[in-house]
Amino acid sequence: MWFEYFTNGKHMAWYASVRFTLIAAFAGAALAIVFGLLGASARRSSFAPFRWLGLAYTTMVRGIPDVLIFLFFPLAFEQGVEWFMAQRACSATELASGTWPPCADAQWFLSTTEYLIMACVSLGLVYGAFAANVVHGAMDAVPSTQLESAKAYGFSRRQIFWRFQVRQMWIYALPGLSNVWMLLLKATAFLSLLQIADIVLWAERLGAPNYFARAGMLHPDWRWRYYLVLFLFYILMTVLSEHFFKYLEKRAGRGMRLNEGSSSV
Amino acid sequence: MSDLFTNFLASGFVGDVVILAKPALFNIYFALASIPFGFPFAVMLALMKNSSSGLVSRIARTYIYAFRGSPLFIQFFMFYSLMLAFNLSHWKPMGIDHIVMHPLFIGPLVLVLNTSAYAAEILYGALRAVPHTELEAAKAMGMNRWQTFRSVVWPNMIRLAWPAYTNEVIFLFHATAIVYFTLPVINEQKDLMNKAGELFERDYNVFLHFSVAGLYFLVISLVIFFIAGKIHQRLTRHLVPTDRNTMSMKPNFMR
Repeated sequence: MWFEYFTNGKHMAWYASVRFTLIAAFAGAALAIVFGLLGASARRSSFAPFRWLGLAYTTMVRGIPDVLIFLFFPLAFEQGVEWFMAQRACSATELASGTWPPCADAQWFLSTTEYLIMACVSLGLVYGAFAANVVHGAMDAVPSTQLESAKAYGFSRRQIFWRFQVRQMWIYALPGLSNVWMLLLKATAFLSLLQIADIVLWAERLGAPNYFARAGMLHPDWRWRYYLVLFLFYILMTVLSEHFFKYLEKRAGRGMRLNEGSSSV
Repeated sequence: MSDLFTNFLASGFVGDVVILAKPALFNIYFALASIPFGFPFAVMLALMKNSSSGLVSRIARTYIYAFRGSPLFIQFFMFYSLMLAFNLSHWKPMGIDHIVMHPLFIGPLVLVLNTSAYAAEILYGALRAVPHTELEAAKAMGMNRWQTFRSVVWPNMIRLAWPAYTNEVIFLFHATAIVYFTLPVINEQKDLMNKAGELFERDYNVFLHFSVAGLYFLVISLVIFFIAGKIHQRLTRHLVPTDRNTMSMKPNFMR
């Protein structure tokens, strides 16, 4: 049967590898929201060094390509852990030798799971800076009268922040956050750079020419067909995301009096 | 003090700055080679999207949506493998394979296709924001369509789109970092990411090499931003300062 080609083990592994992309996208987005809220509150802090830190974070991420940070963070984290391991496991002469890692015991071998976790953190870090900027703008867009009323009613500063400013900012932040999500979703294509066998890596393996009958159907270089499928896959994800964010915007705007079409930050 | 200075020189930082200068030129080349083709193409796409003809508008809309809705990384793989698939049947018989299969050709080619979609969306937004009153004034003065475009639509469009287009150029420059993850590296034709990775594999000093590469990107981004800011000042010199939409170097979500 012709469709048996599409249900062989390699293809099944390809379909299953979509999970890495989806996990990275959702976990990365959740972390980006956390880093975004942290970054935005740092930038609004009354303590000046926090404000500088927030500004440095957003400017640095703006000036450096996402792929560089995506590669740098896992490598730096791995080396940091290895440094701590070396302090305990290696002898003084080995530590002074100047090679890396100083001894075999201090080598940390990473598996797909660990790389995936670090990929999520990297995505969160990079797009958290974009989210911080969006959230910062959205917090400013919350009418100050709302906050003043809350203060007049005797809410504490923390209560005003969480129950009024953060509660009401979402409608202003959603269009921007939707764009950040689109960027993050497209950045999940980089997973293969961390040796994760994701959809991109499998597409290359499946599309490579096969001249060996026992390995399955004989075919020339079909890589562009597989990449075309990924191209369409990401466009489909974008379409779905757009619909989802439209629904969210409708939901977040419940009970709020907004001018027609003023939902952009 | 002099001890501090010699230590700094020996730290490898200065050495890395020198080594990575030439690779930085490759990133600059990819961005500079893409803009002169990407910008006119984007203007064409924006005008097509704004066209009253349903078919023309739909073609431009689909193109822009597809290239904005998929990762550049995938687009690189797809176009490179497509070029490879045509190599034996078309490029070699035509005798142009050594040009069209070269990374210095395919890199800008894919970047142009990608950046023009993003820039077209920006320019289209600006096109829609051209003040109606000025268009009506042009009509009242009896200008034809070309005259209106030349003296009303075009200057307004460029001025309104400029801050967002600057942002797109910085994104384009950052996108050059992934060119050589997808295309073959020929001899010493390495960009910042290649060279930083190569230096890292020698001594595993990830902090030094990647920081210097990052610094190159940061500094060049700031230079682009500075130059674009000067041009923006010139474009808006006839406006009162409060009417100018200002530019700022912050993570912009407009891509």
